[in-house]
Amino acid sequence: MNYGYVGKCARINLSTGDITIADTPEDLMENYLGGNGFGAKILWDETGPETDPLSPENRLIVATGPICGTFVPNAGRVEFVFKSPLTGIYGDSNSGGFLGPELKFAGFDFLVILGKASSPVYLHVEDGRIGLKDASHLWGEDAVKTEELIRKELGDEDVKCATIGPAGENLVRYACINVSVQRQAGRSGGGAVMGSKNLKAIAVRGHGPVCIADPKRFYEVAVRLKKLIMEDEFYPAVSAYGTPGIVSLMNIIGRFPTKNFQRGDFPYADEINAEALRENHFVKDIACYACPIACDKIYGVFKGPYAGAVTRSFEYETLGSYGAGIWNRDLPSIIALGDLCDRLGLDSISAGRAVGFAMELFEKGIITKKDTGGLDLTWGNVESAMTLTKMIAKREGFGAVLAEGVRRASRAIGKGAEYYAMEVKGQEIAAQDGRAQQSMGLAHVTSNRGADHLKAFPTIDETGYPSQAVRRYGEQYLPELVDPQATKYKAWVVKDGEDFAAVVDSSGNCKSGGTFVLAQVYWSEMAEAISAATGRNLTSDDLKEIGERIYNLQRCYNVLCGISSKDDTLPKRLLEEPSPSGKAKGQVARIHEMLPEYYALRGWDPETGRPKKETLKRLGLEFCIDRGAAS
Amino acid sequence: MFLYIDPSKCTGCMLCEAFCSFKKEGAIWPSKSRITVLKWEEKAAFIPFTCLQCERPLCAEACPVGAISRDSKTGAMVVNEKRCLGCKTCVLACPFGGINFDEEKGYVVKCDLCGGDPECAKQCPKGAISFVHPDRMAPKKKREAAAKITSLLEVVAPVKKEEGEVA
Ligand code: SF4
Repeated sequence: MNYGYVGKCARINLSTGDITIADTPEDLMENYLGGNGFGAKILWDETGPETDPLSPENRLIVATGPICGTFVPNAGRVEFVFKSPLTGIYGDSNSGGFLGPELKFAGFDFLVILGKASSPVYLHVEDGRIGLKDASHLWGEDAVKTEELIRKELGDEDVKCATIGPAGENLVRYACINVSVQRQAGRSGGGAVMGSKNLKAIAVRGHGPVCIADPKRFYEVAVRLKKLIMEDEFYPAVSAYGTPGIVSLMNIIGRFPTKNFQRGDFPYADEINAEALRENHFVKDIACYACPIACDKIYGVFKGPYAGAVTRSFEYETLGSYGAGIWNRDLPSIIALGDLCDRLGLDSISAGRAVGFAMELFEKGIITKKDTGGLDLTWGNVESAMTLTKMIAKREGFGAVLAEGVRRASRAIGKGAEYYAMEVKGQEIAAQDGRAQQSMGLAHVTSNRGADHLKAFPTIDETGYPSQAVRRYGEQYLPELVDPQATKYKAWVVKDGEDFAAVVDSSGNCKSGGTFVLAQVYWSEMAEAISAATGRNLTSDDLKEIGERIYNLQRCYNVLCGISSKDDTLPKRLLEEPSPSGKAKGQVARIHEMLPEYYALRGWDPETGRPKKETLKRLGLEFCIDRGAAS
Repeated sequence: MFLYIDPSKCTGCMLCEAFCSFKKEGAIWPSKSRITVLKWEEKAAFIPFTCLQCERPLCAEACPVGAISRDSKTGAMVVNEKRCLGCKTCVLACPFGGINFDEEKGYVVKCDLCGGDPECAKQCPKGAISFVHPDRMAPKKKREAAAKITSLLEVVAPVKKEEGEVA
């Protein structure tokens, strides 16, 4: 009998059509927990530095975790792991919605997809059975519409899908995976991996149970966590506004990247903040599976040139990338651009950043209308941003250059364009300026998937609320811990956040729910919930070790792919150009004050940035030493 | 007392289904939940639906062996599992899909209001499901409808104050 886990996994070879179903390996459950951990281990075992991310040899691992599909609050996440076509290293992306739980109700903990179909197909998973279906008629269709069409075709309103749009089909390196209904596993280019495999969608329907080892205890824990979350002081705000709620705050602290990170404040932020959204565009609160918060909203545009645009999962990030980032104060157009990205199947962070990057090159005269095919890329030119976004998805003209990501694009363009490529390890930086929050700068640098705020997700010191910090870490770290500009303790905060996030992303729980954003659920609560669900008695320390193991394994994979301490850095602009904005005025990102401590805490060699042998041995990762990833 | 469901408050989180199935089946098993959140995803319409405990219960009328009767304490229509033949006549008779046949068990299952303490109403985080006395239903609805026009009240109140009518 399986508890927490449903006990089966499947391997689908799209080249041969072979589909095999097996028991979920004990080693994976014991040492890697689920989602993120499962994916990291499978990617390590089956691919390597030689794997071309867009070749049939790459893997797409779709994985759930032991509490996914239960009623632990926010336990509805699904993880996609693959070698990233954007960065060429370890890649993953996580999504809410309903796909993860549905996969478990269908009887699977995870799927491993490899090979390449000879013509477009979609995967149909239903109650322990898996088949391939023709998707020729869906190829070219937008990512959101595709899910609707598949539901119709299968005659079942409750089918949940992962789909790609034209950007994924055209192998745009930051194409996203659209997840039931209009949510996204946005980052690192999973959509291009699906496109390279001729895989248009994964459709899932299940009617089975997720069984619980200790029902009484599990119920008690889940109900208690739900209450904690709903009584959190920030619950009303997060419920009402979701992530756009932080626009004004980030603007005040100078952490809202504007004009491709030239500055960290946007003078028109009030026109694109959460209040403006709620007042003029709000349609409805919608929730992901098992979520009492419902940070997701439907926003619509009701009049003007963008009337008819509707978005879901419209986040702070899109207001950053397609708003402040490109000097655009027209909120309806940002909603329309978000909707456009979702439908084309583009990560709206990377796509918006690519447009902002191009606008800055245009401003600096590095590119001209000759390069852009006549497009006027003056800051704030919304129509050009629309056109360029479509050109990216279709890889048309100058769009094809940007479809490669800003790192490759800047190298192709030359003439000093590299300076304006705001990326780390090839992935574009989200709306999180490390000059305004030192821990965030470090987080981008040490993230295993290239620039990213969500790997360490340092939420506690960003706003500096001591009550949250004391609850999570204790009195002893104040006042430095909550000072966004202090570097003391931040290496530890980042390391702890990375390990905890690896566990959350492996469990099936959500980082925007009670674990980071509302910060009520921490190691011991996760340990309680997972233990009661699975019957495996896990302590906080056990989970910390699993988190560390996953993080080190991903780092070792990156080491094999050529990553070293030299790559652990930020764009020069953030290290050398003092921020002109808000509370961050005069500040640069001081990652070098934190990196040595970070390496020491991690047990990594400070020279090479590789994990030390004793670290890997302690974590049971001897096989990484054997493959030459240790220092 | 009966379940009063307000779809406009429902976010589609499925917690009601998860908790219901856990209480009734001991596992998180939405397809066995006695309450179903009907979803029209494209329209983002979510309608939680369960047995309406009708005053004229067609299920009970249709049952040839009298296996369905009203619980005098809770008012719920309940199934006598031992008596149920598994003939599914009640499933056909119910115009709403409020009762379902469980293949593994061999008898029909339906919402029994959890013996007077319905789990779905307890766990819904958005107050979309409440367990109310019939007398309270219309006033509750009135209040909720009126709340939508309280903006009017707010406009009116300060004016009165200025005129010195309100202390
Ligand atoms: S628990 Fe409440 S909000 Fe969630 S689906 Fe059920 S009725 Fe809707």
